[in-house]
Amino acid sequence: MKKRNSSAALVMTLVIIWLLIPLLATIIYSLFEDWTGILPKGFTLSAYQTIFSDPGFLTAMYQTVLVCLVPIVITIVVVLLALFVVTVYFPRLEKYVQILCMIPYTIQGVILSVSILTLYAKGDSVLSQRMAMLIGAYCIIILPHIFNGIRNSMRAINMKMLLEAAEVLGESKLKAFFKVIVPNILTGITVSSLLAVGLLFGDYVIIRNLSSSNVNNMQQFLYQAMKRSSTEASAVFVVIMMITFVITAIVLMLQSRTSLEKTRNEG
Amino acid sequence: MSYIHFEQINKKFGSNHVLKDIDLEVEKGQLVTLLGPSGCGKSTLLRCLAGLEQVTSGRVYVDGEDITDVIPRRRGIGMVFQQYSLFPNMNVTDNVAYGLKLKKLPRAQIADKVEHMLEIVGLSEKKGQYPAQLSGGQQQRVALARAMVTEPKVLLLDEPLSAIDALLRKNLQIEIRRIQQQLGITTVFVTHDQDEAMVMSDVIHLFHDGRIEQSGTPEQIYTHPATKFAATFIGNYNLPDAADFNRVFGADIAGESVAIRPEIVMLSKQPLGRTETRLTAKGKIVQHISHGSLIRFGVDFDGLLLNADVVYESGMDFAEGETVYAAVKKELVIGL
Repeated sequence: MKKRNSSAALVMTLVIIWLLIPLLATIIYSLFEDWTGILPKGFTLSAYQTIFSDPGFLTAMYQTVLVCLVPIVITIVVVLLALFVVTVYFPRLEKYVQILCMIPYTIQGVILSVSILTLYAKGDSVLSQRMAMLIGAYCIIILPHIFNGIRNSMRAINMKMLLEAAEVLGESKLKAFFKVIVPNILTGITVSSLLAVGLLFGDYVIIRNLSSSNVNNMQQFLYQAMKRSSTEASAVFVVIMMITFVITAIVLMLQSRTSLEKTRNEG
Repeated sequence: MSYIHFEQINKKFGSNHVLKDIDLEVEKGQLVTLLGPSGCGKSTLLRCLAGLEQVTSGRVYVDGEDITDVIPRRRGIGMVFQQYSLFPNMNVTDNVAYGLKLKKLPRAQIADKVEHMLEIVGLSEKKGQYPAQLSGGQQQRVALARAMVTEPKVLLLDEPLSAIDALLRKNLQIEIRRIQQQLGITTVFVTHDQDEAMVMSDVIHLFHDGRIEQSGTPEQIYTHPATKFAATFIGNYNLPDAADFNRVFGADIAGESVAIRPEIVMLSKQPLGRTETRLTAKGKIVQHISHGSLIRFGVDFDGLLLNADVVYESGMDFAEGETVYAAVKKELVIGL
């Protein structure tokens, strides 16, 4: 048994090293002037200095976080409300909602962005604004991930019976949904949100097609940086990774704090 | 008018007619059981009382008020579900206090009431724990406390003990009955377990295929089943054809079948004297099953098979194949 555990640990360590090598190499590359030999030479933070002193970088960072978080919040609220209505009032419609939510899996980013442009670009409504189009497109892209995460969490609890129990105690259905059901599916919401963050942070195609120069995100900044200097591009990549890491850490920390409070109360 | 009154209740799910012309009354402070096999409509009637299902036709009254069209949260009814339905994200105190908070009672009053109710159900020590940390029995007691703490007009129990193991179940049956009597709360209990119904109820309504087959006290239902279904469902009745029984025992019981409880069939190794009130026959032991304090003998009376229960005591044992003499009191044989 001990031998088997050691083998498993060795395999896991190798996999982790394998996954971390590109990241570590990028970090190292961004911190040195030259890495053409075996070891890098000339430690410097100049790449970071350059990107952080560029006003376009902070704008890109802000806009990236914005166009990432807003669609996630919108999609979560829409999916929660849709699933509430479907579960409580129209359970037979669930399969159709599921099919609708799965459609974006089949749509390529290029097709989606071109379709949205064709439909909305020439109008003068709010939806014709580039930022609105982008947020809308992102909502569509992450919809299946958020839907699946939330729906699977809902299946793990007996939602109908919990709602009925709250209702008999004097609660309205909608309030019961947010006070009783949502806290019990937070893990599903968190996991699907993180998945969506990863997906949106990695987008280049849609934002390039839809926003052109109106919205400048980190991927576009990265593309520009690659044209200037590979060290600078590595530094941008490291910053993107760090932002993703910080968002993930904050979400997980908030979640673990809830669990910790529960554990304390148990005592 | 009774405290709860179901008037000509019909409930259909599509083409499935689940409740058929149900008229049922419950007096204040009673514990009434709706008993019947799965799919007979008993839980549906309970849910109609809670407002979780709308009746297709008929009216429901509680305390003289027509609540047929009142939404569940305005009905003032407490309910305990089969799967407890405790809120997993809340500890015991928060679960029990949930209904009181919705009533916007002062905090101190809520704390007092919750404390008192947890004492009644014997869970004061567990007030900080979450449902996942409690046993099935404890969870069910929390659910009971949560339903009763708001002092509802009526308490509904929808098979609350069916997911609990046998020993704990028996204890909880007695405990629920004790609490119900202590608080004097009118209670409607749903179960498919006839023993549970016997232990807990003031009145039993036996359901069959969407209708009430028979109503009465546990004793009445047990000793005087009105139909063959009631006799089959309620006890371990022998239900031979009346003609066969009359032939073997030389009786003249009217009806298609006769219902004979196994415990009224007296067995002896010696011939038993026949009288006007006592029917006798000779048979042979064909089966011997121990039920702890009882032994159930299968006896063949010239082709008529009857079960006879004998309280276990030394010297009252019969071997398979042994000839025995049986006697039954004529007045206890029911023609159906």
